[in-house]
Amino acid sequence: MSELYEAIRLVAAPDVVIAIVASAIYGLVVGSMPGLSATMATALLVPVTFWLSPIAAIATIITASAMAIFSGDIPGCLLRIPGTPASAAYTDEAYAMTRKGQAEMALGAGLWFSAIGGIVGTLSLVLMAPLLAEMALSFSTYEYFWLAFLGLMCATLVARSSPIKAIASMLLGLLIACIGMENPAGTPRFTFGMTDLLGGIEPIPALVGVFAVSEVMRAMASAEPPKLPKRKFGSILANQWMLTKKYQKPMWRGNFIGIIIGVLPGAGADMAAWVSYAMSKKFSKTPELFGTGHPEGLVEAGASNNASLASGWVPALLFGIPGDTITAIAIGVLYMKGLNPGPTLFTENARSMYALYLIFIIANIIMIPLGIVMIRMASTVLRAPRASIMPVILLLCAVGAYATGNNLFSVGLVGAFGILGFVMERNGYPVAALVLGIVMGSMVETNFVTSLIKSDGDVLPFFERPVSAVLAAMTIGALLWPLGVWIWNRTGGARLQPRGAAE
Amino acid sequence: MQLSDRVTGAVLVGLGGLAAWSGSRLPGVPGQDVGPAAFPMLIGGGLMLCGAMIALGIGHSFEVPEEEEAVPGRSRFYGLRVLVPPALLLFYMFAAEPLGFLLTAFLMVLVGAFALGARARLAVPLALVAPLIVHLAFYKLLRVPLPEGLLGAPW
Repeated sequence: MSELYEAIRLVAAPDVVIAIVASAIYGLVVGSMPGLSATMATALLVPVTFWLSPIAAIATIITASAMAIFSGDIPGCLLRIPGTPASAAYTDEAYAMTRKGQAEMALGAGLWFSAIGGIVGTLSLVLMAPLLAEMALSFSTYEYFWLAFLGLMCATLVARSSPIKAIASMLLGLLIACIGMENPAGTPRFTFGMTDLLGGIEPIPALVGVFAVSEVMRAMASAEPPKLPKRKFGSILANQWMLTKKYQKPMWRGNFIGIIIGVLPGAGADMAAWVSYAMSKKFSKTPELFGTGHPEGLVEAGASNNASLASGWVPALLFGIPGDTITAIAIGVLYMKGLNPGPTLFTENARSMYALYLIFIIANIIMIPLGIVMIRMASTVLRAPRASIMPVILLLCAVGAYATGNNLFSVGLVGAFGILGFVMERNGYPVAALVLGIVMGSMVETNFVTSLIKSDGDVLPFFERPVSAVLAAMTIGALLWPLGVWIWNRTGGARLQPRGAAE
Repeated sequence: MQLSDRVTGAVLVGLGGLAAWSGSRLPGVPGQDVGPAAFPMLIGGGLMLCGAMIALGIGHSFEVPEEEEAVPGRSRFYGLRVLVPPALLLFYMFAAEPLGFLLTAFLMVLVGAFALGARARLAVPLALVAPLIVHLAFYKLLRVPLPEGLLGAPW
């Protein structure tokens, strides 16, 4: 109990409180701008976290990402342009509600069920993490190898793209992770004689390039999104209690699916929203109403993507394996702040973990009042012309990349990754898989090579331990899943949508 | 830049082959079978396989076609504007030390805003104010040693 008091004291520190409020506003504003995603908001925050205390640093990441995932619903609902990819699944539905004159209800559902999803996801994190930590203590390199590999395979299932292209993106990420001498043998690889490459490619410049610079590039070639008409909103939360009671079952299902998908390494909020929306339609009593402005799918998917955000921290905290691209950034920050992920984090640093839970809860509670203010101000915020935002984002990319190592080379690297991300996205190669490959490359390799050395080159020990056998089965299942769908479609079964999610 | 699957697949096959080949030439660790070469060779092989499958169009049915949002009535060179952001980053990389942060950032924001179609009434004030705020935040608050160059900040 004293640990809990200590945690409350940590969170109540003035710098943490300021960090939570400031990053909440930042997350709401950035998330609501079309094209600026939650991942990008988080990546640009990393240089700021250098300067903060460990708890304040984690607080900024948690708060900003939760807010950005919610506020991505705002332009989706009002303009039919998702603010973040995680809102894309139900953008059409929300926009249809707006056209029916129910914008308040759609936005309120996004807000209310995001907050509920976030809190339920946090509770699952609180319950699950210590249980799994006990199990994780007995993990060897075999289990870690399979976990990391499973994470990579899940990342390839996320994308609404060809699974082969997704796997190719992931392999490309792993190849980029090979650069430098951070490998078990310490041999410099693929450095082309450049000393700047000896230390390897840092994930942050890669993330900023792929998610932020490529977005600025896209803005250069596309037309400016339409301006939001000024409008007055009625009460935002008026009908939410009615919706909660009416759609209790979909809500819980959404929370549950979101938690499961979040815990799976590599799969995050976007996938949670797509799967939940599809599930909602499948199990609904009135599937024919979907797409015409029916709140049921919004309830389920809106809860789901925020629930996955919290449970995505489970693999990140326990194994250092990112649950999605946001936790990939968070892991870097955890290491930087001396809170190295691992099962012992929960025993040796319990007060920090309690503080983390508290921040999640607080973030999801203050989301409701701040979210209402944001919705009311949305037409003013979204009025800012793109030409005034994108150049500043670009400048922040340059300064942020420079700040990670006080090294101008990383600024060039950010530009290179921007081009790579842009070209890949245009040709249907999912960039999230690339990023997870880069982040997890050295972990996969280290555990793979040490396992092979331990087993004397034998493959059998990879499957012998019970947990590693289960993880191996899941990984291979994820690998063969697209093949199964393809054969099912070919043999004339009822045509399944790819991964049962795309709609 | 929309390329056909054949082109991107072929590029991946080439890249994978190159990775596997140069990986195989890495020196091994004496007395151990599994050295630094194993992983790049494995990845190179995988990339070659995936590239070949992509070039042959396998898995294409899974793709959700992306809506092309071309701006009508523009010349072919209009598409080259996407290269402005990386070019500006390259400019920052080389100019930040000699010119200093404030001047470099001023030029960067100015060019970026004009490339996005801003009028001078918006672009010039933005380019004057944004670098100062970013400098204040990063140099003063976050203690990032931004290069001073020709024009130092007043603080």
